[in-house]
Amino acid sequence: MNHDNHEVKKDAAPHAVCMRGITKRFPGVVALEDMSLDVRPGELHAICGENGAGKSTLVKILSGVYQPDGGTLEIGGEMVRFVCTRDAEHAGVAIIHQELALVEELSVAANVFLGREKRTALGLVDDRAMAAECAQLLESLECRIAPDVRTGNLRVGDQQLVEIAKALSLHASIVVMDEPTSALTESESARLERTIAKLLARGTTILYISHKMGEVFRLADRITVLRDGRHVRTVNRADTSPEEITGWMVGRKIADRPASAPRVRGKQLLEVRNLCLPWPEHPRGYRLSDISLSLCAGEILGVAGLMGAGRTELLETLFGAGQSNWTGDILLEGRRVRFLHPREACDRRIAMVSEDRKRLGLFPDLDVAGNVSVCSLHEALYGGLLSRSGEDALVAGSVRETGVKTPSLHAPIMGLSGGNQQKCIIGRWLLTRPDILLLDDPTRGIDVGAKAELYTLIDQLCRNGMGVILTSSELPELLSLADRIIVLAEGRLTAEFSRSEATEARIMAAATG
Amino acid sequence: MPPHQDSFRQPFLLRRSEWALVLAIVVAVGLTALLDANHSYATRPLESLRDIARNTALLGIFALGATVVIIAGGIDLSAGSMIALSGTVCATTMLALAPVEMMGFKPVGPAVVAVACAASLLAGFLVGTLHSWLITAIRLPPFIATLATLVGLRSFARALCESATSALTPTKSALVNVADPLFKTVRDNVWIPVAMFGVLACITWLILTRTVLGRHIGALGGNEQAARLAGIRTDNVKWFAYCFGAMTAALAGLFYVANESVSAPVNQGRGHELNAIAAAVVGGCSLAGGVGTVPGTVLGAIFLRVVIDAVSKIIKTGADVYEGLIVGIVVVMAVTLGQVGQMAKGGRKLLPGSLGLCAIPTLAILSGAIVAMTAGPRAGASVAGASVVLLWLLRAWENSRTPASSM
Repeated sequence: MNHDNHEVKKDAAPHAVCMRGITKRFPGVVALEDMSLDVRPGELHAICGENGAGKSTLVKILSGVYQPDGGTLEIGGEMVRFVCTRDAEHAGVAIIHQELALVEELSVAANVFLGREKRTALGLVDDRAMAAECAQLLESLECRIAPDVRTGNLRVGDQQLVEIAKALSLHASIVVMDEPTSALTESESARLERTIAKLLARGTTILYISHKMGEVFRLADRITVLRDGRHVRTVNRADTSPEEITGWMVGRKIADRPASAPRVRGKQLLEVRNLCLPWPEHPRGYRLSDISLSLCAGEILGVAGLMGAGRTELLETLFGAGQSNWTGDILLEGRRVRFLHPREACDRRIAMVSEDRKRLGLFPDLDVAGNVSVCSLHEALYGGLLSRSGEDALVAGSVRETGVKTPSLHAPIMGLSGGNQQKCIIGRWLLTRPDILLLDDPTRGIDVGAKAELYTLIDQLCRNGMGVILTSSELPELLSLADRIIVLAEGRLTAEFSRSEATEARIMAAATG
Repeated sequence: MPPHQDSFRQPFLLRRSEWALVLAIVVAVGLTALLDANHSYATRPLESLRDIARNTALLGIFALGATVVIIAGGIDLSAGSMIALSGTVCATTMLALAPVEMMGFKPVGPAVVAVACAASLLAGFLVGTLHSWLITAIRLPPFIATLATLVGLRSFARALCESATSALTPTKSALVNVADPLFKTVRDNVWIPVAMFGVLACITWLILTRTVLGRHIGALGGNEQAARLAGIRTDNVKWFAYCFGAMTAALAGLFYVANESVSAPVNQGRGHELNAIAAAVVGGCSLAGGVGTVPGTVLGAIFLRVVIDAVSKIIKTGADVYEGLIVGIVVVMAVTLGQVGQMAKGGRKLLPGSLGLCAIPTLAILSGAIVAMTAGPRAGASVAGASVVLLWLLRAWENSRTPASSM
């Protein structure tokens, strides 16, 4: 059985993108090895792979950020060599990056025309013409965004549409989308899919990078799977199934997680009564309103909600990392607490893994060991000074427990894949031996294999008596992990379900209600 | 996966860039020994060594403070003014405690000296506290907060000096002479500031590499938000960093007073904060925070002073005019050389596009003018001409190496 059809050239028209033997190495890592890929004009070509499979490197080579060490790249039948991103733009390749590349302080129109500003006869910037054209572009994407709004004020989903408008204004014939739905709510994702349909109708070729099987199978014409920097195969969507694709992605078949055995609930650890968090500068007036919940030892409490529902604010308030002007009661083992600094929460054995790993979790200049040990350095003290071997022993234990794959304890943290970085951060907190673990969307941007390992880890911790509060953007994750699920909508608590009551439909209804 | 320069093997004693600095120091010393017409390195080695050692120690002491602040992700522009204030506090305290002896250029006694020195260090602590309060509570950017004290403290020191002298001596004065034998001893024994520098470097190294506080300093500089969320009291860490910065400057201020036998708030330490920052940057500190080492800064300070000394030995007269120029060039060269490898790999050009075209005459005029002023107009003109040709060739080579982009 050979699904590889990049050797078969049926169509006469040149390929929109044609890669031959592309290789990219970094010190100690081969990010892409002998990568060949053909993308037909006008198709939506999905690229799937775990994190670290080489998807992002592929995107960066296509956009001129990286230069390949070997191999050739053709765009529309012409051999190209991109030295910078501008070269890629000129060749008609536009990239919608996973982390959006917009200038928050500038208006929407200014961002769309950044670097290609329209000028008046006097050579001054012609804001009016840009706003007009930008409005037109946005209208064609059926989104209601005023061109003169400050981009930073937009929600992530809207910012992404601004990026797409920018791609349109470049008259890009090839649009590369790098995990575009990773930060979108369900309704925003649906809108994005409609936009994609419009782009395809115009004849745009789309490379769609994702590891969400649902959207890949709804959208793609063909699917290419990468693993460990190599091309595994390219297949027509009609000829395959999500199970087959995930199997190729991880190199093994993932069985559906069996519903785990029920856990034993222990004593009550945390109770929250009528928690309100004001937000004066917002028309709603509050970030959180009248939230009550409880958490027992040995239990996973899931927090569902769309983006902006207040999930992160809730966890930050519990951890003492947010504003301290909240009202209501937070009781820790029956005693009222009000944490003014995360340190105080740590001292009471609460740990929090924050949602944005890069911005809020990692220390890019410290190595793996430094990142893991940062919260428990006092355990590696010997006569008041840090002991290297003590620290290494501490970290080695943690790395083993969480299953981090790293070439060395002293490897640079930024060289690890997202899943391994996340395991390091969870390991960092486990070293503090918390009673309560707050996990804010811990599997965001993590590949399938690492996700499964994290699920097993979280389940195990819980069985050992830890109380876990888990938020997630992915409902199936909450449904399979949590004992109870509370649903937030616009800062209010709208429903609470036990495991047996919860279904995706019920949760979505409560989250949008 | 992003490319990463650092190998994860433990380096041998020093990092590669630091070994390169050692080599650069050796080369600079060798060149001076060769090119100096008086051959003072060969004829008066001890004297030359003493000179360099004293200057390096004085610079190094507060460069260590600057290093800690920079690794913590901040910047302290006020070190030079802190030096002036420290000296003034020391001198005026002695004047207040022993006015008769001070005016008669007589010994004031070790007790008075000790109190005066303690007062200076206390002033450093207070200034550091002020900085961290402005930065953490008022939320001023460190650049603004320490820019304000850079300007303000020197003026404050002068005012303090004038009011103290007008109150305690017959005449108002903007300087106070310090003649105590203890200060003379420090001036005449170079090993004292050098030993102080060495001890302080060891302490700083120990703090940065082997204590929890040091790790927190690096974490704070690398990612402040993550540090806070990891339960680190970032405000307290900043408090330490700025106090360390100001107190090392205060300590250096005492040595400046001893060295010059006078406290002169108008000029003492003026502009020295930039030398300290330069030493740290040459030693591998990143102004973005989180990166830097004590050995790097020590070598950076030595390198800076060796090069300044080399120029003064080679040019002879009026070499102090060129000190700022040398510091500027050394900083640019050190940081540039650290990036050359990356540049070549990433296909980046030194002289790209029309900016590169304009940079060629700019660099040629600069180098020509420097040579013309130091070695005569004819040499200057030929250096300028040679620079144009060489840079032009470099540009042509760069353009031929990377094919024109597909436009």
